[in-house]
Amino acid sequence: MTTPAKDVLVWDWTIRLFHWVTVGLIPALWWTAEEGHMAWHARLGLTLLGLLVFRLYWGVFGSPTARFSSFVKGPSAILAYARSSLRRPYVPSTGHNPLGALSVVALLGLLVAQVSFGLFAVDVDGLESGPLSSLVDFKTGRQFAEWHEFTFELLLWMIGLHVLAVLGYWLVLKTNLVRPMVTGRRPAETATPETATRNGVSLPRLVIGVALAGLPVFAVQL
Amino acid sequence: MKIQTLGLASLCVILASCGGADTESAEYRGDEELPNGMTISEMIETRQDGLEDVGGSFKTISDELKKGDPNVADIQTAAANVEAHSQEIGDWFPEGTGADSGVETEALDSIWEDPEGFEAAITKFETAAGELNTAAQSGDVEAIQAAFETAGGTCKNCHDSYRADDD
Ligand code: HEC
Ligand code: HEM
Repeated sequence: MTTPAKDVLVWDWTIRLFHWVTVGLIPALWWTAEEGHMAWHARLGLTLLGLLVFRLYWGVFGSPTARFSSFVKGPSAILAYARSSLRRPYVPSTGHNPLGALSVVALLGLLVAQVSFGLFAVDVDGLESGPLSSLVDFKTGRQFAEWHEFTFELLLWMIGLHVLAVLGYWLVLKTNLVRPMVTGRRPAETATPETATRNGVSLPRLVIGVALAGLPVFAVQL
Repeated sequence: MKIQTLGLASLCVILASCGGADTESAEYRGDEELPNGMTISEMIETRQDGLEDVGGSFKTISDELKKGDPNVADIQTAAANVEAHSQEIGDWFPEGTGADSGVETEALDSIWEDPEGFEAAITKFETAAGELNTAAQSGDVEAIQAAFETAGGTCKNCHDSYRADDD
């Protein structure tokens, strides 16, 4: 902390890449399904599957702000945060705040459900089907397709809430959360120093994560 | 501030478009008898079971074709089943078995408003299902693949115009 004016890194580049690629993939997945480009739907969906596996791995072995243990908190911490956010001036958390963590967990959970259901989904013509659908019968595959549709609706609601919350931070709490998700950095004076110190990406861990992420993507296509 | 306004505006559009349209539910007439002796609800159930069975057979063929070494005997059984059902489908949609019967169905009123178009969709399907079965009995996997895709197109063709919820 010798140069206090310098920005600190709150999100490593893998987190930011994951975030913005996912933002791009969701409308693309919707569009390809809607237009019946199912080969591309499956390719993009499997890409997202790989990204999700990486994100879950990174949530355990990644940089401090990426780790679930650093931001998933119990109800009392969430309440305390909610109360503190009413105080002025509002001091933003370095990584996810305890309330925002709920949305992170919900969004990741819904995406995992969405992708998993898609792997087994069968369309009404019995023509288009996920790579694991041969493991289930037609009726079950149709059931997965319906869940696949339902989680997408939930996902849209969650995304709406997420975007509203980010807007709220911007308009009400005068905190720009988008810039750090793009540049990874936030002005040092608005960041607590402890967690912001070693947020870089460890190369060996990155390599292991990419290998782990690739595994299921290839396995489901066997 | 301009970007913020834009953001808010697009969010409103997204939220507004989430509201689905309510479908008015018709009075239940599922117990009424049709000229063929079945009740409306029996007829709808029979056709949905039949279509589900067609879907199951289609999935069997699709699963086999995806394998490197498809089981031709399974494909033959399934294709014969599809062809048999394709000859019944014309009897599955008598007048009065639409959604206004109060029975849950995805059959659209356009079936009865445009009988020639519906009939044409059935004929296409019958032809393609016959060709699929012929290809299947020949055992030529490439021919089966081609006939399967054509037949699949005839399901989609009909669903796009005459079935609600094209998922
Ligand atoms: C001539 C039009 C037509 C053709 C051809 C057709 N379908 Fe359908 N299909 C329908 C309609 C209409 C419904 C909705 C029936 C209902 O809900 O009562 C339907 C419903 C279904 C269902 C859902 C049944 C349920 O449980 O509700 C399946 C599965 C299905 N079709 C599969 C197929 C497959 C596979 C093919 C081609 C091999 C095919 N259909 C060809 C008109 C058609
Ligand atoms: C987060 C990732 C995903 C999203 C957002 C997504 C979204 C969608 C949407 C919006 C539909 C259209 C549903 C409808 O008809 O209303 C759909 C259908 C489908 N998806 Fe996905 N999908 C995802 C992942 C996957 C994956 C990984 C697979 C498998 C490879 C897959 C396979 C399918 C299949 C087979 C259908 C057709 C099912 C049907 O007819 O209802 N999806 N998806």
